[in-house]
Amino acid sequence: MTAREYARTGWKEYATHASLRLWYAAAVVFLFAPIVAALVYSFNLGVLGNETATLTGWTLQWYPAAWNDLTLRHSIVSSLDVAFWSSLLSVVIGSALGYAIVRHPSGRVRHLLAALTYILLIVPESVIAVSLLLLYSVTRISLDTATLVTGITPMAIAVVALVVRARMLTLDRRVEDAAADLGSTRLKTLWFIVLPQLTPAVAAGGVMAYTFSFDNLVVSAFLSTPQVTTLPVYLYGSLQYGPSPTVYAAVSAVFMFTMLMLGLAAVLYRLARRPFAARITP
Amino acid sequence: MPALWLAVFFLAPLAFTVVFSFGRPTFGGVVPDFTLDNYAAALSGFYGATFLRTIAFAASASALCLGAALPVAYFVARHTRRHRALAIALIVVPYFSSFLIRLMSLHMLMSRDGAVQGMLNALHLHHGPLDVLDTRTAVFIGMVYGYLPIAVVPLFVVIDRIPRALIEASRDLGASRWQTFRFITLPMIRPGIATAILLTMVPMLGELVVPRLLGGDRGMLMGQAISAQYLQSQNYALGSAMAVLVLVAVAIIVAVLARITRGFAEVGR
Repeated sequence: MTAREYARTGWKEYATHASLRLWYAAAVVFLFAPIVAALVYSFNLGVLGNETATLTGWTLQWYPAAWNDLTLRHSIVSSLDVAFWSSLLSVVIGSALGYAIVRHPSGRVRHLLAALTYILLIVPESVIAVSLLLLYSVTRISLDTATLVTGITPMAIAVVALVVRARMLTLDRRVEDAAADLGSTRLKTLWFIVLPQLTPAVAAGGVMAYTFSFDNLVVSAFLSTPQVTTLPVYLYGSLQYGPSPTVYAAVSAVFMFTMLMLGLAAVLYRLARRPFAARITP
Repeated sequence: MPALWLAVFFLAPLAFTVVFSFGRPTFGGVVPDFTLDNYAAALSGFYGATFLRTIAFAASASALCLGAALPVAYFVARHTRRHRALAIALIVVPYFSSFLIRLMSLHMLMSRDGAVQGMLNALHLHHGPLDVLDTRTAVFIGMVYGYLPIAVVPLFVVIDRIPRALIEASRDLGASRWQTFRFITLPMIRPGIATAILLTMVPMLGELVVPRLLGGDRGMLMGQAISAQYLQSQNYALGSAMAVLVLVAVAIIVAVLARITRGFAEVGR
């Protein structure tokens, strides 16, 4: 190749790289713009207590106002409640499912469970929601927190199961076999060998399930009652008469909380991964 | 144990829906029967048009999403080294914040006198007030916005897995960058594309928040139509039939995608 050709391919290489980088940057800006906007609008004065598209001035008043709004606070508490129970349930059930997908003795059962997990993710939320609504109206079970939790858990279970499954696939089966050879019962192996290695995945899956449950709107909209109204449902309802700035304040606070939880999950995942490797190789 | 839980709270309700879809509607209830009337109603006239529109809409929005996601995934997989984890995190993090809030903010940004209008005017790309809200374009933007992260991730995973040596070999043998992409990269990332389509198009079929928030009442989609049958008209039978139709559409998409990537499942095992 001549020097000139080198220069030409180099230039093309550079142009591709630059345009890809530009596209990536644009995507990140696009994705973050509304989040930044929500933060900005939570400090916006607005007009006559209503949020406006144009910025009218800076104020901190909406944060205490959001805290003092009882309906809003009640909806956040009930969101936390629902998210807590649904993530707890889905961690237990989802971990069992993730484990069974990889280690169940029967190949057919493994395939069936894997298929079921994917179906859980695939069925549109609105379909699950209306189906549950039907179930409860036929069986005449009145809607409360528990019924809402049952509506949200299927998806949360699938999320936990997939994370746990991914971790299970990286585990060395021979360690479990060795434990069995040395006289450990299956339950003991599960508790002392498998579970400690799964902890990071279970924790990460749990946090994801929590976030998803907290944020769930579609299922909650169908299964909520005046007594049990989660934050997303409250926000959705508040859109009818224009969102107030308190909503933005509440949501910005929740967003920061979510980011904190996710950061915690990332740290947990890393921490829990390292010491175990260290323990195995003394 | 997990199977039991799912059977009670997932499969049983779905079964109810299927049964109801064949029933005869009474006000606020359904009489068990075996009739196809609900399907006839759901497939004809206004509802049929809504169903077709929803499918066309989900397909094109999903394609748009994929087109936007591919360069992003390609960039992160190929052109980043040290900051790779950060690069992918930046794409995924927004997905974990409240979807509804992000849409509300998007609504604010795109509204008349909003930030986007100001920006476009400043760049001389647009003059005067911006009336994009309550149009189909706004719903498109909202859909792409909402589902971009989950389209990027599977694409990133497959592009990342292609050995660099393969690309270099193709280039050494005289293929252009485009030829390499077309004949080496693209065939190898097929499963990722299928997953991305699945993860974006299927939820779009049932989506009811984006069209309601950004599209106004015009351009009603299937998700809204179903919820209206349940929560307003109380016609559970028709609503069920429409829900089952969405499920059938989902099943067809899954079957087609599974066929496209069939060769890969065998290699993967």
